[in-house]
Amino acid sequence: MSEKISRRDFLRLASVGAATTAVLTGCGPASRYVQREPYARMPEYTYNGLSTYYATTCRECAAGCGLIVRTMQGRALKVEGNPNHPVNRGKTCPRGQVTLQGLYNPNRVRGPLQHARGEALYDANFQDAQPNLDWEAAIRVVADALEETAGVAFLMGTASDHLFDLVSDLANAAGASAPIRFSAGSMFETRATLSQATENLFGRAGLPYFDIANSDLVLSFGANFLETWLSPVAYNFAFGKMRRGNPQRRGHFIQFEPRMSQTGSKADDWFPIVPGTEGMVAAAIGRLVAEAKGEPLPRAFASVDLEAVTSASGVKLEALAQIAQLVISAFAPIAIPGGPSLGMSNGLATAEAVLSLNALVDNFGKPGGVFLSPLSPNQDPDGYHRPASAQEMADFIDRMKSGEIKTLFIHGVNPIFELPKSLGFAEALANVGTVISFATFPDETAVASDYVFPDHHGLEAWGYQRIATGAMQSVLSGLQPVVSPFQDTRATADVFIAAAQLTGGEPARALPFNDEVAYIQSKLANLVGQADGSFNAPEINSFSAYFQQHGGWWKNSAEEVAVDAASALGRELMASQAQFAGAGEFFFVPFVAPTLAEAGANKPWLQELPDPMTTVMWNTWVEMNPETAHELGIDNDDVVKIISEAGEVEAPVYLYPAIRPDTIAMPFGQGHTAYGRYAQGRGTNPADIFGLLFNEAGDLTFAGMKVKVEKTGRKQPLSRLESRIGVYGEGMGEEGH
Amino acid sequence: MSNLNIDLNRVGAKGALAEEADGKWGMVIDQDVCTGCQACVAACAMENNIPFVMEEDAAYGRTLHWIRIERFWEGEYPEVRTTPYQPMLCQQCGSAPCEPVCPVFASVHSQAQELNLQVYNRCIGTRYCANNCPYQVRTFNWRDYAIEPFHANDFDGQLVFPLHNQFNPDVTVRRRGIMEKCTFCIQRIHKAEDKAKSEGRAVEDGEFTTACAQACPTNAITFGLLDDSESLVSQLANHKHGYRHLEEMNTLPRITYLQEG
Repeated sequence: MSEKISRRDFLRLASVGAATTAVLTGCGPASRYVQREPYARMPEYTYNGLSTYYATTCRECAAGCGLIVRTMQGRALKVEGNPNHPVNRGKTCPRGQVTLQGLYNPNRVRGPLQHARGEALYDANFQDAQPNLDWEAAIRVVADALEETAGVAFLMGTASDHLFDLVSDLANAAGASAPIRFSAGSMFETRATLSQATENLFGRAGLPYFDIANSDLVLSFGANFLETWLSPVAYNFAFGKMRRGNPQRRGHFIQFEPRMSQTGSKADDWFPIVPGTEGMVAAAIGRLVAEAKGEPLPRAFASVDLEAVTSASGVKLEALAQIAQLVISAFAPIAIPGGPSLGMSNGLATAEAVLSLNALVDNFGKPGGVFLSPLSPNQDPDGYHRPASAQEMADFIDRMKSGEIKTLFIHGVNPIFELPKSLGFAEALANVGTVISFATFPDETAVASDYVFPDHHGLEAWGYQRIATGAMQSVLSGLQPVVSPFQDTRATADVFIAAAQLTGGEPARALPFNDEVAYIQSKLANLVGQADGSFNAPEINSFSAYFQQHGGWWKNSAEEVAVDAASALGRELMASQAQFAGAGEFFFVPFVAPTLAEAGANKPWLQELPDPMTTVMWNTWVEMNPETAHELGIDNDDVVKIISEAGEVEAPVYLYPAIRPDTIAMPFGQGHTAYGRYAQGRGTNPADIFGLLFNEAGDLTFAGMKVKVEKTGRKQPLSRLESRIGVYGEGMGEEGH
Repeated sequence: MSNLNIDLNRVGAKGALAEEADGKWGMVIDQDVCTGCQACVAACAMENNIPFVMEEDAAYGRTLHWIRIERFWEGEYPEVRTTPYQPMLCQQCGSAPCEPVCPVFASVHSQAQELNLQVYNRCIGTRYCANNCPYQVRTFNWRDYAIEPFHANDFDGQLVFPLHNQFNPDVTVRRRGIMEKCTFCIQRIHKAEDKAKSEGRAVEDGEFTTACAQACPTNAITFGLLDDSESLVSQLANHKHGYRHLEEMNTLPRITYLQEG
C-alpha cells in the first residue's frame, strides 16, 4: 500500500519531474529564450474554419477594379484585389478596402418606403425609418409610372453598366427619353473635356489610357492620377513600375499645378504655375522640343509666343528649355492632361495642347505612350457612353423645371449633394410629379424623393461593369453577390423587369427575362466563343459560371487603335489664358478628397484615414499659403468664409506650404445634410459655391473661379494626425504646421 | 560560462540574448514609390478589427492606426516639397525597447517567429511599452470604441452593432485599456505555418503576405522571409538605398526602408 499515490502527490511528482527535465536541458542554448505560451490561446493562434472567396467588381467608383472578397459563414470579412484583373492586378485603394463599411453601415435604407419629401430617413438618434411598403406595392408604383412613358426620365450613376443597359433598353422600348448618367467624380475628372479633345484630334471620342508604367518621363498638367482620377489603382500600379520597374532607369516625373496635390507631391519637379496656363506651358514645351529637334515647326505649335507664356505662367524660359531637353533625351516621354486644369474656360484647348505634345513625340500606341482605350467587349459600336457633363445636367434640370418630367427615377447618384448647388436640382424637383429613388443609403436625394426602393449594396449585387479606361485591353468586369442581402432590398434591375412585365406591351417585350441574371446572360451571349479571351466556354451557362469565377472577361492582348499623329499636329492650337469668374483676390482650386471621393463620407474608416497631404481627418479644411495667411492675420484652425459669385461657405484654415500665395484650395467630399450618422453635419461642401460657367466641352469650370476670403473670428480645431497642438490649444503659430 | 562567447552589445534586457538581425519575417518599404494613398492603413484596419475613434478622440491623438503614413514639409514656397512618404509601423525589433519594460510579459518576444508579440489577455494597460517605443507605433484603447452605443441600432431595446459583422474571426477584438500594435498579420503567418506543417514542408516565401503589402497599389511594401537569401525581401533589404530607422539605438529593426532615387 505504500506505493499508493494520491492524485495530488502524482501532480506534485509530475511537476518535479518536469522541472528536473528543464534543469537538465537548461544548459543548452534554447533556454536563453523562455518559451512562453499565452494563458489562453488567442484567436490568432487557432483555426476558425475555412473561408470562401468570391470574385466581384468594386462599385465605389467607375474604374471597375476586380475584387476577391473573403467570406465566412455568410458574412463578408475582407476585400482583397483580384490578382488576375487587368485593371488593378490584385491591388486596391482605400475606398475599395472600406466598401464593407458600406455593406454593414448602421444607416441603410431597410426596405421599400414612401414618405413625405424632405422627411428624414432616420430619427435624431440615427435609427432608420421602417419600411412601409412591400415589394409588390413598390413594383406596382414603378409599373404605374412606366405607363405614362412620355414623362418618364432616368438619372443614373456610373455603376453599374448592366443596369444602365437594361434601363436604356426599357426606355427605348417604352419610347421614353434615354437615361442620363452623372457622378461628381466624372465632373471633377472632366471626362467630357478629355473625351472631346481626343475626338477633335484623333477622330474618336473616349478616354485615352496613359501608359506611364513604361514611360521614363511623365509631364502631368494638373492630372491627379494617383488620387481619384479615372482609374487610380491602375495608375498607382503603373507609377510603381515607372519608378522601379526598370533597373536601368528611374522614370522622371514633372507636375504643373497651382496647388501641390498628393500626385504632385511625388513629382521630381513641381511647378506652381498660374492656374489656367497649363495649355500654354504645354504648347511652349512643344515648340521648344520641335525647334531643338530641328524639325519644321508643326502648325500646332507655330503660333506660341514664349515670352507671353513665361510671363503668364510664371515658369522661367530656362526651365522650359530644360524640360524640352529632357523630353528630347527621354526614351518614352508622355504628357497627361487632367483634373482641375481642364475644369476651366480654356480646358478643351489645354487638353488639346497636352495631347498634341504626345503627338509631337509620336508616342501613340507605343510602350510608354498614349493608347486610345479599346471599347469594352459588349459595348455597342456607338462607342463610349460618357457620363453627362455639367452642361448636359443643366439642360436636364431645365427639363425638370419645365414640368416636362412627370416621374424621375434616380439610381446610383446623389445629385443634390454631387451637383453644384447653383444648378438648382433640389428646387427643380418641385416640378417633378413623382421622384423614385433606388438609393442604398439614406442620402440627400433619397430624403427628397417620394419613394425609396433600395437597391442592394454592390457586394450583394449582380452585374457587369465596362472598363472605360485603365487597361490596355478590352475588359468587361463582372459582379456577383458575395453575401445574401442584409436588408429588405431588391435589385433595381429586377424591379424594372417585374414592372415592365406588369405594364405589358413594348416594355414587357423588351425585357422578357425572369430576373437580372437572365438579362446579364443575354448580354454576355455574344462573347461565347470569341477569340483571345481570358477564358472560353462552349455555351452560355458555362461561360456565365466562369465569368463569375474569374470576376469578368477580358482580351488577353492589347488592342491597337490606330492614330494619325501628323494630322493632329496640323491643327492650330488655341491655348491661351483662362477666364475667371468672380472678383475675389484668390484663385479657387476645389479637388476631390483623395480618401473620401464623392461617396465615401458615410464610411467611418475612410473618415479616419488622414488626408495624405494635410493629415486632416473627419472634416473639411481650406488650404492657404502660410505667408498669405500671415499677412491676413489668419492662423491654423481659424474659420474663414469663402465668397464666390454663387455663394459662400465656411471652413477652418490649414496653413499649406505648397500652394501659390494667390490660390486657396478646398476638398470635396464632406458637407452632407443626410447620408447617415458618420457623414451628416460634418464639414462643408465646396460645390455649394460653384458658379455656372461651362467650358467648350460642357464641363463645369469648377477651377475657374476667383473668390474672396473673410475672417469669421471663430476657431475650430481640425483633427490632424500630424499634430495635437490645435486641440490642446497651445503652441499655435509657427510650429503649427 | 566563459565559452559562451557573449557579445555584450547584443545582450538585451533581462539577460536574454538579442537575436541576429536577420530573423525570419521581414519587410521592405520603398519610399520612392509610396504615394501616400492610405490603402495600407485601410487594409490593416479591415484585416485586424481596428476600431475607429471618431473626430474628437482622433484630434487628441488616440487613433488606433497600426500603420500610419508620415510626411513632413521641407523648404519654403516655391522650393517646397514633402519628404518621401514614410509608412511607419511596428519595426518588429530584434532588441525591442518595448519588451523589457512590460511588468506582466504582455509585450514579449516570440521565439518561433522572432516577432514582438502583444498578448492582449495579459496586458493591464500600464502603457510603459508605448512610452519606451522610439517609433511611436503602439496604440492604446482609451475606450471601448467598438461597442460605443453611437454605432449601434436599437431593436426593441436591444443594441445591434451591424459593423461587427465584419470582425475577422482570426483576430482578437480588443477592449478598453489594452495596448495594441502591428503584428505582421500573425494570424496569416499561423495559417501559412499550419498549412505548410500539414503538408510536411517549410513555409515558402510569397505564400502569403500581410494585409498592407497585399493592398499596396504601387508595390511599395514587400513582405517575406528574411533568412531565405533567394527571397525578394531579403534581396531588397540589402539594396544600396536601404536604411533602417533609429538603427543607432541598436533596436535591430526588422523593416528596411528604401530611399528615393
